[in-house]
Parts: sequence; structure tokens; C-alpha cells
Amino acid sequence: MEDFTCPRCKTSKFQNPSLKMMVNVCGHGLCESCVDLLFLKGSGSCPECRIPLRRNNFRVQLFEDASVEKEVDIRKRVLRDFNKKEEDFNSLAEFNDYLEEVETIIYNLTNNIDVVNTNKKIEQYKRDNREQIMKNKGKLGREEYELEELLELEKQQQEMRKQEIIIEETESKKKKIREKEALIDELMFSSENAKNIVETFAQQAKEAKEEEAKAAPAKKTHFSTGIQIGRQTQSSFLPVPIEEGPLFVYKPLVLQTDGPKLPTDEEIASMGYTNHVRAENEQERAGGFRSNIACVRALQDAFSGLYHVRKAPVH
Amino acid sequence: MSNKLTRYEKIEFLGEGQFATVYKARDVETDNIVAVKKIKMGSRQEAQDGINRTALREIKLLQELHHRNVIGLLDVFGHMSNVSLVFDFMDTDLEVIIKDNTIILTTGNIKAYIIQTLQGLDYLHRNWVLHRDLKPNNLLVNSNGVLKIGDFGLAKLYGSPNRINTHQVVTRWYRCPELLFGAKLYSTGVDMWAVGCILAELLLRVPLFPGESDLDQLTKIFAVFGNPTEENWPGLKSLSDYVEFKPFTPIPLKNIFTAAGDDLLDVLEGLLVLNPLKRFECSKCLAMPFFSNKPAPTPGSKLPLPQNIRKTEVERPTLKRKLLDAVEGGSLSKRLFF
Repeated sequence: MEDFTCPRCKTSKFQNPSLKMMVNVCGHGLCESCVDLLFLKGSGSCPECRIPLRRNNFRVQLFEDASVEKEVDIRKRVLRDFNKKEEDFNSLAEFNDYLEEVETIIYNLTNNIDVVNTNKKIEQYKRDNREQIMKNKGKLGREEYELEELLELEKQQQEMRKQEIIIEETESKKKKIREKEALIDELMFSSENAKNIVETFAQQAKEAKEEEAKAAPAKKTHFSTGIQIGRQTQSSFLPVPIEEGPLFVYKPLVLQTDGPKLPTDEEIASMGYTNHVRAENEQERAGGFRSNIACVRALQDAFSGLYHVRKAPVH
Repeated sequence: MSNKLTRYEKIEFLGEGQFATVYKARDVETDNIVAVKKIKMGSRQEAQDGINRTALREIKLLQELHHRNVIGLLDVFGHMSNVSLVFDFMDTDLEVIIKDNTIILTTGNIKAYIIQTLQGLDYLHRNWVLHRDLKPNNLLVNSNGVLKIGDFGLAKLYGSPNRINTHQVVTRWYRCPELLFGAKLYSTGVDMWAVGCILAELLLRVPLFPGESDLDQLTKIFAVFGNPTEENWPGLKSLSDYVEFKPFTPIPLKNIFTAAGDDLLDVLEGLLVLNPLKRFECSKCLAMPFFSNKPAPTPGSKLPLPQNIRKTEVERPTLKRKLLDAVEGGSLSKRLFF
């Protein structure tokens, strides 16, 4: 679809990413804006094959090859009439012959072979089989039946699941009420310490809950292809240790220069050091460069190693 | 020289980058695990030019830099036309940690990583080195939770008033506004902005400004901080690539980092300042209350690591992933845009 170009205005998908190609029964493509322009009155002729077309027959082109679109179109139209099912034939061979003929008709129409005769054939067939065509249109084929059945089954299953959930819910509600009543009974009639009773009941409730949690299987949602939905694939986060080390204490970095102490920034400004370095211009200052940077560097380079003494003979 | 060839025993192939192949190896003399980066000598023409420039930068700078939070260059040796660099072996990097969605990064974890980054960077800056390619991918972490700044292929000395630098440095997402506007002379601010972006990424777990082009990068930045003006950034309009943007109203950082405390927001605001002269330096950042406040930074051994590392301690996906990313378009800097 990427390198699509409208044959009329030469706009390509690259120039206009929202370009929409349309196609009509003749199988020649046109972009949406050209269709709007040429078929303003509702009908016109195809700019390539001059066939008269109606505007509302234009569809968005789904296939890259426009001739495929044309074939799909023709096939749809032909099969509307040639709608016989396998059951309508006495033998498989006959049905195959019929299918073969249908394919020939479609092929001829798509490739503009013997169009007149083919169309005549279709008309003939229509006349001969009018009744059957009408009947078949109302009748659902075997496949449709199967599909219908499958859908029905699914519906039933869904219904059953719903029921189950409702029952489960009422069950658990009842259970809770029963537990509560038991606790009250126990408190009323037992001679034991009330606190103990409450505790044992709480314990029981907790255990029951834990069991439930265990019983519920970990839900795994994944597509039939095995691709998992959500974040199950991610192994849990690494543990975050809470242990803490000592707090950070900032100690300025001390350079071993073996030389005299360098002047501070203030001293460089106040003691006239910068008079001996080229001042930075506006552009350099905007770039983050100051002449005292150069000054400090020059001083450090000069001072480094002045006090150096060889401490131990090397080798 | 010959003993150096046998000193490092190859264990496995780790990955291949644009300029180098990296192997995991054992140092026979010390029994330490190291990473050996073998610089490719691509063509005859390259060979004529001598040693690869990025490798030369790494060798030149790293030989003199020694800090706990800077990758250690242990050895360099040559064989035929090849040069090999021997580094500390690092298990993973911050990008892997950020992208691993099984890891939860607490404020303590983030604090620990950023403190180590800033300490390493402070050392670099005090020694007049700009890294110029800070990104989570280049902040290497070993199984002891020690973070080291790695990949000095773009690093350069700074502070000389006469030397002009290129502004085509730093992976775009971590590139600061002055570089995007084409500044030729800049300073530590370029690294500090990147640290701010990394801190934000540790919090959000996605890049803060994933720009698709240089202009888009600036648009994304200004959409948060508002447009810079001559008042808050003097000389702005003199920058060579300066362009006017449509006006944006700034969004308070609090609305972006909803879970961050005020002390943390202060750090972000200090690092992500449009004007490079007002951007905080490492030392100033480290002295901010966020770092000394509770919660304390997580000790190294307790820092979360991707699961496969603590267990097997073999894999080091850094470079392999670098390659994969380039294919998938993960590191956008390497992609062409039309």
C-alpha cells in the first residue's frame, strides 16, 4: 500500500499519508479526492477505460492489486445468482462441474474475455433457474446451519456460567450469615470467655479466606496463540532492600599538584589576574566559557609540580 | 612486548563497536578479569594515518587519570598494526539498569549513582578534561555497585582560550542548548547538562528529551523550560546556529517529576539551566542538601543489578547492545534523518 499513486492526480501515499484509494466495478483505482471531483454529479466515466460508473459504487480499495478488487466485485455479483449448494446436485461430480463453470464465468468477466456471451450465459441461467435461485436465497446452507448451532451453543454456555456465578454469590452470602449466627449463639449460650470465642471465630474466618485464595487458580489470560495478555510474563520486581548506609558527607576534591595554592575565583577577579588573559567575547560567554577558566588553567599548569621532590629513587 | 600478548587470556567475545572489538580476558599475572579493547585498523588508508583518533584520546587522557569513578586504563600494547587497550572489567551500565523494568530504583539508589557520577566528573573537570559524551550507556557499573565513567573517545582538554572545539559532540538527547546552538568555545556546562538529563532519566526511566533532530531537541527542551531570552542568557543571539523558536510557557519541574522531593528538584533545576554560566558545577551540586539528606545513598553492594549479573557474573551486554541499538535506532545519534 506504501507506494500507491493515484493514476489521475499522481498523488502518492508518501506525499499524502491520508490518501485513500477507491475502486469501482471496472477495477481501476482513483484517489478519494479525484472521485469527489469527477463524480460530483453522481455518475461519470472511468478515466482509464471510459466505462460509465456510478459514484456510490466506489469502495475503499482493500487489496493492493486493483484487479483483485474487480474480481471480488464480480464474484460477489455472480454468486448472488449462482447460489446452488452441494445438496442441489445428485453427485459430487456434477457439483464440481457447476463450480468449474462459475469460476470460468468469473474469470472471463474479470479478464474481459467474451463478455457478451458470458453475460448472455448468466442471463440464460437466471431465467432457467429463477425459482431455484429465489428458493436458495431464502434457504440457509449447511454451513450456515452449523455456524448457527455453534453460536447457539456458546450462548447457552454463557447463560450457564452466569447462573453458576449467581448461585455461588448467594451461597457465600448465606454462609456469612450462618457464621455470624453461630458466633452469636456461641456467645449467648457458651460458658467460655467471650474474647476467646471471638478470637477462634476470627481465626476460622481467616483460615477459610486463605483456603479460598489458595483454591482460586491463578488466572492466566492469553490468546490462543500463546501470547499472554497483561504483565504475567514479567517476573516480579526485584526486592527493594531497605537497609541504609551512612549519610553522604561532601568533601571537596583535593588535587595533588605539588605546587603553590591556586587563587580562588574572587581573587582572580579582584587581583587583576584576568588582565593578562584575553577576555571572552559575547559569543564565548554565551557558550559557557569565561576567561577566568583559562586563567585558572594556565596558573594550575604553571604551578603544578613546582614543589615536587623525588621521594624515593625510581628503580 | 611479546609477554604482553600472552599476558591476557581471552575468555569471551563481548562485542564489536565502530572502532573496536572488545573481549573479556583474564590477566594471567594478577588473575584479574579485564576488558581488552582491540582497536580496528579498518583500511590501508586508515593505517597510513596512524593510530585511531578516538583511541589516541582515550590513551592520552586515561593514562593520567586515576579515580575510583573513572574507568581505569590498565595497560596498552600493540601487535602488528593493532593497538589494544586493557580496561577494568565492568559488568553492566546505567542504560541496562534504567531499561530493566524489574529493577526498582529508590531515591537512595539514584543518589548513590549520581554521587559517584558527580565525583568522577568533578575529578575530570578539575583536571581540565571534558568528557563530552555522558549518557547512561557510558556510565559503567560493576557487580560491587561501583560506577565508573567510561568511553573517553570524545573527551578533550578544555580551558584554553585559543582552541576551538566542535559542537557536534554528545549524543543528542543529552546535548545541552549551547551546543545545539553551535557554541564553539564551551566549558564544563556541557557535561553538567548531560548529568541533569541522566538524573531525570533515572527518575522517569525514559529519556527526558528524546529529540528526533537537533531542532526537535531544542523544541523539547524549551517546551519544559520556556524559551531563553537575552536577559536570562546574555549573548544567546550571537551563537552561530541561534534560531528563534515559537514561544513556550515553561512547565514546573514538579509537574514532570511528581514523585521527587523538593531537594531533588533543586538539584535538577541547578543542572538543567539553559544558560551554561548559571549551570551548577560538580562541587556545587555535591554540596547541595539533597545528597546529604536522608535517605542515605545505597551502599555499593546493595545497589540493584540486572538479575543475570549477580547470578552468573559473566555477561556484559554493553557493547553488544550498543550494536543492536544502532540497528534498532536506539542511539539516535547514529541514525540519519531526512
